[in-house]
Amino acid sequence: MNIKQQVVTNFGSELARFEADWRSQVERIKARFKEAVEGISFPGTDFTDVPIVRVKPTSLIELLSFMKIEAGFDYDFCADFTASDESPREPRFDIIYNLFSTTRHNRIRVKMGIAESEEAPSIRSLWAGADWSEREIWDMFGVRFEGRPNIRRILMDNRWKGHPLRKDYSIYSYQIFPNPEPPYPEYLEDE
Amino acid sequence: MGKDGSTSIFTTKLDVLANWGRKNALWPLPFGTSCCGIEMMATLCSDYDMSRFGAEVVRFSPRQSDLLICAGIINSKMAPVLKTIYDQMTEPKWVMSFGACASSGGIFNVYSVAQGIDTIIPVDVYVPGCPPAPEGVIHALMSLQEAIMQGRTRAQIREKFNQDISPINFLKEKQ
Amino acid sequence: MDLRTINFKNKDVPVDVLTSAPASVFVKSQHDPDDLWDDSRLIVNIGPTHPAMHGTFRMVARLNGETIEKSYCEFGYTHRAKEKLAETKTYHQFVVYTDRLNYCSALHNNVTYAMAVERLMGIEVPERNIWIRMMCCEIARVIDHLICIGISAVDLGAFSFFLYGFHQREEAYTLIEKLCGARLTTSYTRIGGLMHDAPDGWEKEVKAWAKQTRETIDEMDRLLSGNKIWCKRTIGVGVFNREQCMEYSFTGPPARAAGLDIDLRRDTPYMYYSNMEFDVPTRSNGDCFDRYLVRLAEIRESLRILEQCADKIKKGPIWSEDKRTRIPEKEKVYNTMEGMIHHFKFFMNGFQVPEGEAYTAHEGANGEMGFYIISKGGSSAHRLKVRGPSFWHYQGLSPMTEGAFLGDVVANLGSLNVIAGELDR
Repeated sequence: MNIKQQVVTNFGSELARFEADWRSQVERIKARFKEAVEGISFPGTDFTDVPIVRVKPTSLIELLSFMKIEAGFDYDFCADFTASDESPREPRFDIIYNLFSTTRHNRIRVKMGIAESEEAPSIRSLWAGADWSEREIWDMFGVRFEGRPNIRRILMDNRWKGHPLRKDYSIYSYQIFPNPEPPYPEYLEDE
Repeated sequence: MGKDGSTSIFTTKLDVLANWGRKNALWPLPFGTSCCGIEMMATLCSDYDMSRFGAEVVRFSPRQSDLLICAGIINSKMAPVLKTIYDQMTEPKWVMSFGACASSGGIFNVYSVAQGIDTIIPVDVYVPGCPPAPEGVIHALMSLQEAIMQGRTRAQIREKFNQDISPINFLKEKQ
Repeated sequence: MDLRTINFKNKDVPVDVLTSAPASVFVKSQHDPDDLWDDSRLIVNIGPTHPAMHGTFRMVARLNGETIEKSYCEFGYTHRAKEKLAETKTYHQFVVYTDRLNYCSALHNNVTYAMAVERLMGIEVPERNIWIRMMCCEIARVIDHLICIGISAVDLGAFSFFLYGFHQREEAYTLIEKLCGARLTTSYTRIGGLMHDAPDGWEKEVKAWAKQTRETIDEMDRLLSGNKIWCKRTIGVGVFNREQCMEYSFTGPPARAAGLDIDLRRDTPYMYYSNMEFDVPTRSNGDCFDRYLVRLAEIRESLRILEQCADKIKKGPIWSEDKRTRIPEKEKVYNTMEGMIHHFKFFMNGFQVPEGEAYTAHEGANGEMGFYIISKGGSSAHRLKVRGPSFWHYQGLSPMTEGAFLGDVVANLGSLNVIAGELDR
C-alpha cells in the first residue's frame, strides 16, 4: 500500500476529480515543449500525488509562464518553491515548484535539475514572492540564481560558512559569533 | 509605644529591608523568542497572574528591568543579541531560564541552537518544561524571591564580594 | 560594535546613534518639498527584541520624518533546523517537532503532518479519528485567531481583547489538557491514529466552550469594531490588493481580506469538510481592518463547524487497521516473538514509508500550511519541506509599508500574524 493507492479522506479523490484535466494538460505540454521536457510522472502509475513535469533549466521560465497564463492551465499561484539534494546523482540539486490553480483548484509540480556550479533561472519576474525562497535555497543548498550577484543569506547569519541542508553537512556543526549581525544600510539605498 | 506594648517601629538590617524590597518588585524583561513566549504571556495574564508577586511592570528595555526571563530558543543568530541585552542591564540583575530550550537546547540538538543560555550568560533559576506549566513558572519565581531574600543569588554575591561565583556553591541552600 | 552603532557609507568612523549630536547622524538627503526639516532622513533598526515584534524579527527602515521610504525585513532568529532534523529523525519522532511550528495552533500542525505521512503510506483512518481531528483543527484555529487579534490589539493599545481572549484560550487549554495532557505543545496525532481517545463527554464540553467563546467574541466585537480609534488605526492601513496577494502567495485571512477567495477546506476538501455547512468570509479592501473582520468572522464559522462535529461524532475505533505504524498490544509484545520483534523494530528503526512524494496542504489558521515530503523508502524523510504561510506573509511587509507611517508597521505586523515558529522553522 503506498501513494499509488490514494485514500479518499486524504485528498485521494483528487485523482478522480482532476484526471481528465491533468491528462489533457500533460498532452499539451508534451506537444508544445518537446525536448525541453525531460519526463512527466503521473499519479496512479508513478510514485507521486500530482503530475510532475521535469524540465530543462533553459526552458523553465517559458514553461512556467505558459502554465500561468494559458487557458486550460491557469496555474497562477506559486504555493511552494524549494530544493532538494539528490547527491550522488548528477545534476546534484532538484529545484521544485509546487503550483496551484486558484480557479480550477488543482495542483501540479515542476522539477528542474541543477548542477552545483550552475546558475538557476529566477522566477521573480513571474512571482515577486519568489525572492525570499531563492535566498533560502542559496542559504540552505548553495544554489545560485540568475540576476543576483550579491545574494545574501536569510535564515542563517550572513557570516555562516557552509550550506546546512546539503547531505554532507553534519547536523552538529556549531558556529559561534561574538557580536550581533549589524544592520546593512546599503540595502536601503535607492536603486 | 501604645498602652498594650505594641510599637509601630520594627528593627531590621538594611540588607534584609533591601532584599525584601527587591524580591517584591522584580521587573521582568520578557525575552520571549518562541513557544515558551506564549506560555509566558499566559502566566502574565489574568488566569495565572504573575503580577500578584510584584512582577507586573513588564519592561522591554534592559535599562529599566531587573529580571531577564529568557523564554524560548536561543540560536547562533540570537545569542550575541541576548548577551548585548544582558550586558545592558544594570546591577542587580537576575536571569530566569524559562523552558527546556533556554535551559539546555531542549529537543533541538542542531547546528544553529545554543545548548542552553548558561553557555552565554549566568542563570539564576531554571524552569523545566516544554513549555513549562504556569504553576511551574510561579514556583520558580517564588524560589527566586526566596533566594533573593536570603541573599544567595549571583547578583547579590557579586555585590558583596565583587566577583561572580560558580554554580556549585550557589546550589547549596542555607541550612 | 553592538546594535546601536551603524556604519554609514562613506564614513570611516562608526557613528553611535544614541550619543552623537543629531545633525551629524542623519544622512544627507536631497531636498524634498514635503520635508519639514532638511536632513531629516534616518535609518532606524526595529530590532529583534522589540515589544511589537511578535517573536524575534527585525526590520530596518529608512525614514523620512515619520514616513517609511524603504525597508527590509530580516528573520532567522529562531531557526531550529527542523527540516534537517526531519532527515535524521524517524517519521514518528518528528510529530513532536511539528507542534513547535505554528505554536499558537499546535494541534493543527500535528493533524496536517499525520495526514501527509498517511497519504504517502496509503493508510485510511476510521471515522471517529477524523471527527476528533477536525474538532482539534477548529479549536486550534479559534485559539490562534484569538491570540492574533488580542496581540494586535495590545500593540495598538486596546488591552481588554487580549485579557478576555486569553481567558477563553485558557478554557480551551483545559479542553486540550483533557484530550492529551498538554496545554500548548500537544503532539497528539500519530501516523494512523491518535495518542488517546477523547474522554467521554468531551464533545459536550467543547460545545459549552463554543457557546461561551461566541458570547465573548460578540462582546469584543462591540468593543473594537465600531471604536473610532481602532478604525482610524486600521482602516486604509497596509492595503494589499488581490494582485499583490497573488504575487506574494498570500493565503488565509490576509488573502481573503483582499478578495482572493480561496479556502482549502471548501475548494480542495479533506476530512469531512464537504459535509459541513460553513461560510468563508471575504472582504475586498485588503487593509488591516478587513483582516481583523475576516478573522473575527472565521472564529464564528469555526465555532459553527465545531458544534456540527460535536453532534455528528460517534463512538468507535481511532486506530487504523494498518499494522505498520502501531505498536502491538502489550500481551502480544510479552508473549509472542513476532510482537516483540515488531515492537523492537518500531522503536529502534521506525516504520518504513514506501517511496513517493506528496505535497499535503491544509487550511491552517494563518493560511495554507503544507508539508512536502519526499521519501526514498527509508524510515526518515529524504526531504521534508514545511510551507509555512508566515514566510510568504512576512515577505509582503516591506512592500506593504512603503510610504506608510512608522506606527503603521505595528498595525500591519499584528494583522499579518507572523509566527516565528513557521517562519524560521
